[in-house]
Amino acid sequence: MRISLTLALASTAFTAFAQVPTPALPQSKPMLITGATLHVGNGTVVPNATVAFDKGRLTYAGPAAGFTQDKAGYETIDAAGQQLYPGLIVPNTTMGLTEVESIRATVDEQEVGALNPNVRAIIAYNTDSDIMPTVRTNGVLLAQPTPRGGLLSGQSSVVQLDAWNWQDAVVRADEGQHLTWPQMIFRLNPNEDATALDRRQKARESQLRDLEQLFGEANAYRQLPAGRKENLRLASLAGIFDGSKTLYLHADYGKEIIESVRFARRMGAQKVAVVGARDAWMVLDFLKQNDVSVVVSRIHALPRRDADDYDQPYKLPAQLQAAGVRFCLDYQGDQETAGSRNLAFVAGTAAAFGLTKEQALTAVTLTTAQIMGIDKDYGTLEAGKSATLVLSQGDLLDMRTNAVSRAFIDGRSISLENKQTYLEKKFRSKYGL
Amino acid sequence: MAKISSEVALVAVIMAAAGAAQAQPGTYPRNGVYDQRPGVFAFTHATLFTDYKTQINDATLIIKDGKVVAAGPATKVKIPTGAVVQDVRGKFIYPGLVDVFTSYGVPEVKAAERQGRRVPPQFDTQKVGAYNWNQAIHPEVNAAEQFKVNNEQAGAYRALGFGAVLTQQADGIMRGTAALVSLNTNRKENEVMLLEKAASGLSFEKGSSTQDYPGSLMGSIALLRQTYLDAQWNQRNPRREQNLSLQALSQQKALPAIFQASDKLSALRADKVGDEAGQQYVIKGRGDEYQRLNDLKATGATFVLALNYPDAYNVEDVYDALRIPLEDLKHWELAPANAARLSQAGVPFVLTAADLKDKKKFLPNLRKAVQYGLSEQAALQALTETPARLLRAQDRIGALKPGMEANFVVCSARFLADDNVLLDNWVQGERYQLTTVPADYRGVYTLKIGEQPEGRFLIQGKPEAPELKIVPTAGDTIRGNMTVTSDMATVVFNPNDKQKGRGAKAAEPKKPDAAAGSVRLSGYYTQEGRVFQGDGLLADGTPVKWRAVRLEEASRAARRDSAKVMPLPVVGSVLFPFAAYGRAEMPSQQTTLIKNATVWTSEVAGKLENTDVLLVNGKISKIGKSLALPKGGRSIDGTGKHLSPGIIDEHSHIAVAGGVNEGTQAVTSEVRVSDVVDNEDVGIYRDLAGGVVAAQLLHGSANPIGGQSALVKMRWGATPEAMQIAGAPGFIKFALGENVKQSNWGEMNVLRFPQTRMGTEQVFMDAFTRAKEYEKEMAAYNKLSKSKQQKTEGPRRDLELDALVEIMNRQRFITCHSYVQSEINMLLGVADRMGFKVNTFTHILEGYKVADKMKAHGANASTFSDWWAYKNEVRDAIPYNAAIMTRAGLNVAINSDDAEMSRRLNQEAAKTVKYGGLTEEEALRLVTINPAKMLHLDGKMGSIKEGKDADVVLWTDNPLSIYARPEYTFVDGREMFSLTADAALRADIQKERQRIVQAMLTAKKGGAPTQSAPSKAQGLWHCDTLGQEKELAE
Repeated sequence: MRISLTLALASTAFTAFAQVPTPALPQSKPMLITGATLHVGNGTVVPNATVAFDKGRLTYAGPAAGFTQDKAGYETIDAAGQQLYPGLIVPNTTMGLTEVESIRATVDEQEVGALNPNVRAIIAYNTDSDIMPTVRTNGVLLAQPTPRGGLLSGQSSVVQLDAWNWQDAVVRADEGQHLTWPQMIFRLNPNEDATALDRRQKARESQLRDLEQLFGEANAYRQLPAGRKENLRLASLAGIFDGSKTLYLHADYGKEIIESVRFARRMGAQKVAVVGARDAWMVLDFLKQNDVSVVVSRIHALPRRDADDYDQPYKLPAQLQAAGVRFCLDYQGDQETAGSRNLAFVAGTAAAFGLTKEQALTAVTLTTAQIMGIDKDYGTLEAGKSATLVLSQGDLLDMRTNAVSRAFIDGRSISLENKQTYLEKKFRSKYGL
Repeated sequence: MAKISSEVALVAVIMAAAGAAQAQPGTYPRNGVYDQRPGVFAFTHATLFTDYKTQINDATLIIKDGKVVAAGPATKVKIPTGAVVQDVRGKFIYPGLVDVFTSYGVPEVKAAERQGRRVPPQFDTQKVGAYNWNQAIHPEVNAAEQFKVNNEQAGAYRALGFGAVLTQQADGIMRGTAALVSLNTNRKENEVMLLEKAASGLSFEKGSSTQDYPGSLMGSIALLRQTYLDAQWNQRNPRREQNLSLQALSQQKALPAIFQASDKLSALRADKVGDEAGQQYVIKGRGDEYQRLNDLKATGATFVLALNYPDAYNVEDVYDALRIPLEDLKHWELAPANAARLSQAGVPFVLTAADLKDKKKFLPNLRKAVQYGLSEQAALQALTETPARLLRAQDRIGALKPGMEANFVVCSARFLADDNVLLDNWVQGERYQLTTVPADYRGVYTLKIGEQPEGRFLIQGKPEAPELKIVPTAGDTIRGNMTVTSDMATVVFNPNDKQKGRGAKAAEPKKPDAAAGSVRLSGYYTQEGRVFQGDGLLADGTPVKWRAVRLEEASRAARRDSAKVMPLPVVGSVLFPFAAYGRAEMPSQQTTLIKNATVWTSEVAGKLENTDVLLVNGKISKIGKSLALPKGGRSIDGTGKHLSPGIIDEHSHIAVAGGVNEGTQAVTSEVRVSDVVDNEDVGIYRDLAGGVVAAQLLHGSANPIGGQSALVKMRWGATPEAMQIAGAPGFIKFALGENVKQSNWGEMNVLRFPQTRMGTEQVFMDAFTRAKEYEKEMAAYNKLSKSKQQKTEGPRRDLELDALVEIMNRQRFITCHSYVQSEINMLLGVADRMGFKVNTFTHILEGYKVADKMKAHGANASTFSDWWAYKNEVRDAIPYNAAIMTRAGLNVAINSDDAEMSRRLNQEAAKTVKYGGLTEEEALRLVTINPAKMLHLDGKMGSIKEGKDADVVLWTDNPLSIYARPEYTFVDGREMFSLTADAALRADIQKERQRIVQAMLTAKKGGAPTQSAPSKAQGLWHCDTLGQEKELAE
C-alpha cells in the first residue's frame, strides 16, 4: 500500500496533484498501527500502543500487550516513536463555504435577512476546495460548516474532510441552529450623539421581541396536526424543542452570555451551547450551574479590553476547565478558512497557559464531538468507534513537532498532498533544491 | 449642587446692558437725536485688582469714554468733576477676563461627513478662486470679515466675567486669522474689534474640507510641512503663481499661532511641526497635559486649557465597569488637577471656557481647579495677563491701567470665593448688570420685640436666600421666614415652632388659641447703624415695635465657622504611558546576569548550553560560563530556560495614531509614520509579553508609494520620540497588487490611478523620473553662488520627491508590499532602470517563484509563515515560501502585519521547520538577526553578541515551541516585561480601578452627573485599513 502510493506520487507529480487529491477508497483490509504513543482523546495516554481497525471501525486501541490477536492478515504500520491521535474536529467554521475571502463569488456563508433558520450550510459545502486538503494535512479531519450573520443564521452540519461531494461528506446533517445574539455594546461613530445609542437600544429590543415571537410560534407550530399550512422557518426550528438540534448561541460579552442562555431556556430549547464566549471568564459559575457547553472562539486573539490580562484569551480554556465547564476550541475569526489548519496550535497554546496537553487535546476532539452529538463515533480512539485518526512524528499540538505522517478517515488512508505541497515541489525543482 | 443651581438662577437675572447710549461709530450716519454721553464713572472704596496680582484696598477707579483714566488708592486718585460716582465699598473689581479660544460671532462650520469607500474620491479642492490646492488649507480666511456682534453669545461669556475674546472659525488645518473683540454688544463691529488679526489658527483636522487628502493624521502633518515650504517659495518667487492662500500665510507668519490639538501627543506633534517652520505654537489641548508634563514643558509652548472635566461613569454594574479603560477612570480623577500641575511645573498657560457644553460650569470648574491646588493668583493671571500678552494686547486688556479698555468685573467677594457673585461686567466702559444681589445681611443680631425679653436673631443661608432663625431664649430655636428687598425686610415666625434638639416633635396638635399664630414684623435696614427696625403685629394682634442690632464680632465668628477649608483631594499617580500597564517610571538599566541558560545567539556561535549572559548599561557586556555578578547587579537563574535575542517585527502597524494609510494619492512619500507614533498603544506591552523588542511601523499598502516608516523599540513608557531607534536609517513603504489598484474597495473606487498592475508600473516610472529631474534641478540651483541664487527662481522644495531622491542615494530603503511574481519582476525592472534598490519585499508570498531574481537584485524577503487564500493574489501562497527563499540564498524574515500575531512571532518562525525543513536555529533567525539585517540594525541588534544592545528574552522553554512563554523581556537592558512584574501590574490595576470606582460611586451619591461606559472604538490597524476608523477589538 505504502509503496504503491509513493509510486503513484512519483508518476503523477506536477500534473494530477495540482488538483484536489482524489478521495481515498474505503478501507479494504484490516490495519494495525504499532509502537505509537496513543492519545485516546479522553485524557488517557498509552505508550507503546497497538491500534487495530477494520471496515472503518476500531477493533482495538490499547497497550500492545493487550492485543492478542494474530497480526497476520493485517497491514501493519510500524509507528514506533510516533504519536497517535483522534482526528481533530474544527467546530463553527466557514471552511468549505468560503474559498477566497475577498472574492464575493467564492463566499457562501451569510444569507440575506435576519431570520434564516431554514437555511442549511451543508448545501454550499464545497468538497473541491483547495483549502481542505491543506487543513487535514495538519491533523484536522472533521469540521462543522456553519452559516454566519443575521440573527438566526441557519443550520450547521458535521462533515469529514475527504469526500466526493457534500452528501458524501456528511457525518451529521443539520445538527444545529445558530443564533447570533444581538450585541449589548453599541459603538458610536464620532459624529453621532447620544440619541444614536438610544436608537440602537430600541432596535435591539425590537430584535429580541422578534426572536421571542418566532420561537414561541415555532414551538406552537410543531404541535399542529399534519395538513397544516407549511412554513419553512417555523418547521426548521422544531428540532431545538425536541432536542434533535442544538441551539448554538453566538455571544461574547459576559452579560450577553447570561441573557442569551436564559432566553434559550425560557423558549424551551433542549440543547444549548454558547459559541464565541470570549468573556466566559466573567460568568463561569453561571455556565457551570446551567450546564452550558462552550465553543471557545480562536484563542489566538487579543484581549478584548486594554486592561485585560495579556494572556486572557490564552488562559480562558484553563479557566473553563477549572470551573468544570464543558468546552471545545474553534478557529473563528480573520482568515478562518485557511487558518483552520492551525487548530491544533490553539490547543497547544491552551496547554501552555494552564491546561494539560491531554486536556487541550480533548478540547479539539472529544468535547467537540460531544457538543456536536457525534461522540458515539468520533472524538476518541476506542474500540467500536470510527477509525478517524492521525499519526504524527511528534507532539501534534506544537508547531515545532507537528508532522503528520498518516491520516485515516473512517479507516480510509487519505492523501496528505495538497496544492501547496505541489507548488513546493515544483519550485524546489526549479532551484534544484 | 445647591450652590450651582442658585448661581445659575442668579446669573440669569439680568444680562441686558444697562442701556447707555447706542453709540455709533464716528463714520456712521445717525438717525435721530445725537446722544453721545460723557461716559465718566468713578468707582470708590473698591477692593481693586489693577492686575492679577496687585490688590489695592479702598481704591478708586476712574473710566472715561470706555477707557481707564485712573486706578489707584483713594488717597491718590482725584475724582473728576462730572463723574458718575458709585460707592462700591465691600466689593471687588477685577480686570475683565480674556478667552483666546472662541468662535464668538463667527458662523459655525460643520465638519464634512466622512463616507470612506462609499463615495467616489475627490482629488481637487472645491473652493473657487486663486487659492491653495488643498481645501483644508485656508489661511486667507479672516474672522474679522465674518464677525457679527451676537447678543446671546456675548451675554453667555460676560456672565462668566469675560470682557474680550479672541474669535476664530475653528475649521480646517490652516484656519486663517482670528480677531480680538470686546463683548460689548451696544456698539458696531468696527468699535468692538480690538485687533483685526490677532492670531492665526491651526489644527490637524480637515473640518469641512471634502477633499480626500489628507486622509490621515500623518497626512495632515505632511501637508502642514509642505505648505510652509510652499509659502516660502511663493514669497521668493511671487511671479510663479498668485496663490492667495500662500500669500496670506506669509503675511500672518508674525502673528501668534494657536494650534488646536486633540490630545497631549498631538500637542507634541504640533510643536515639532511648528519648530520646523520657525513657529512657536500656542497649543490648545484636551486637558490631559498633566499626563506628559515634562515633555510638554520642554516644547516651550503656552497652553490653552479648557476646564472641561469628564463626568463620573456609571460603575454600579461590575461587567460594564470593566469596560471603562483605566486611563478614563484616572482622567476623571485627575482632570481637575491639570491646571494646578501645569502651574506648579512652571508651564505657561491660559484658561478658556471652550469645550464646555454648558458654559455655566466654567466658574464652578475653575473653583475646582483651585481646590485641586491652583492658586487664585495663577488662575487670574491665566485669564487676564497671560492671554493679553499672548495676543500682544497687554496694553489694552487684561489689566486696569490708564489708557486700557475699561473692561472689568464687579464682584461681591473675592473672585474665586465660593460665595462670590458677579454683579456687573463693564465692557468698554459700559455696564452689563449680571445680577442684583441684595446686600449680605447674614450675621448675628440682638432682637427686641416690644417689651419681650431680648433674644437672638440669626440670618444664615446665602445672601440671595437668607434663612432666619430666632432664639427667644437660649436653647430654643424658631425657624422663621425672611425676605429682604432693597433694605426692606419682612419677617414671619411662629413662637410655638420651637425646635428642641434633634428628633423632638410636637407631641400633639395644639389647641388653636389666639396666641398660637404667627408674629409678623416689617421694617427696614440702615447701613449706618447696622440695624433692622420697624413695626409688627403679634399673633394676637398686639402692635409692637421691633429692633434687631447686628453684633459685628459674633457675625464675623459665625462666618469663619461656616467657611470650610477643603483639603487637597487625593488622586492617583500619573502613569507612563497613561494607560493600563503603565508605570510611575520606566524600569532601570540594572546590571543583570542571566545564569546557566541555553543561549540562542543567532550568531555563528549558534546555540550555547549552560551559558551566562551579562547585561550592563543597556548592552550585552559578556557571554560565557560562570560569569561573576558585578556589585549592585542582580542575577536571574536561567537553568532549564532559553535565552534568545529579542524578536524584531519587520512589519507592524501597532502604535500608530490617526491612520496607517495616506492612500488618497498614488504617491505619498512625504508622510511619515514617525510623526504619529502612539506610545500608549497597549499593543506595545503585549508585544513585550510576546518577546518582541522592536518593530518597523509601516505605512499601509493603499498606494504604490506610501509613507516613511518609524523604527521603534518597545520602550513602553517612553515618549513617541524616544521610542524611535536613534541612528536608524530611513525606510519607506511601497506596495503592489490588489490594495494598490483598489481591487477590493467597492464600486466607488475606480477612479484613482492606478487601477491595474500596468498602471502601477507607470506610477513608479513617473515618480522616479520626476525625482531624477528634481534632483538635477536642485543640484544646479545649490551650485549657484548666494547672490545668483537670489536672482534665480529656485525650484520648489518637494518633500514627496525628497524622499525618492533619498532612495536613489541609498539614504532611504524600500519595504515593498508584494504578492505575485509578475509585479515583483516589474518592480525589480523599474529599480534597475531607474537606478535604485528594493531593500525588502514584504509579504512576498510568491517570493518562492522569483527567489533567484530577488537574490540577483540583492533584495531581502519578509513574509508570513502560512497566510493564504484571503484574496485572489494569495491563492498561490505556500507555507514553504520562507524555507525555499532561505535555501535559495535570500535573507528572510517572518513578520506579523498583525497586533495579535506579532506576540507569537516565535511560533510563526517555528512553522518553517515544519514547512520546508529549516533548522531550529535558522528558524529563530527569521525573527531576530535576519529582520535586523534587512532593517540595517544588525550592527547593534538582532543577536546575542557582546557589545550589542541588551534586547533579550528569557523563555520558559525552547523558543520555537508553542509551550514557551517569555518570562523576561529586556529592552536596552531594562526589564520591560516579566511574569512577576506583570502580576504586580495586574494587581495594581485592580486596586486602582477599585479605588476610583468607589470614588465614583461616592460622587454619584453626592449628586455628581454621570455618564455611561464609553462606546469609543478601540481597534487595530492593518495594512489595508483606510481612514481613521479602527477595527474593533471588543
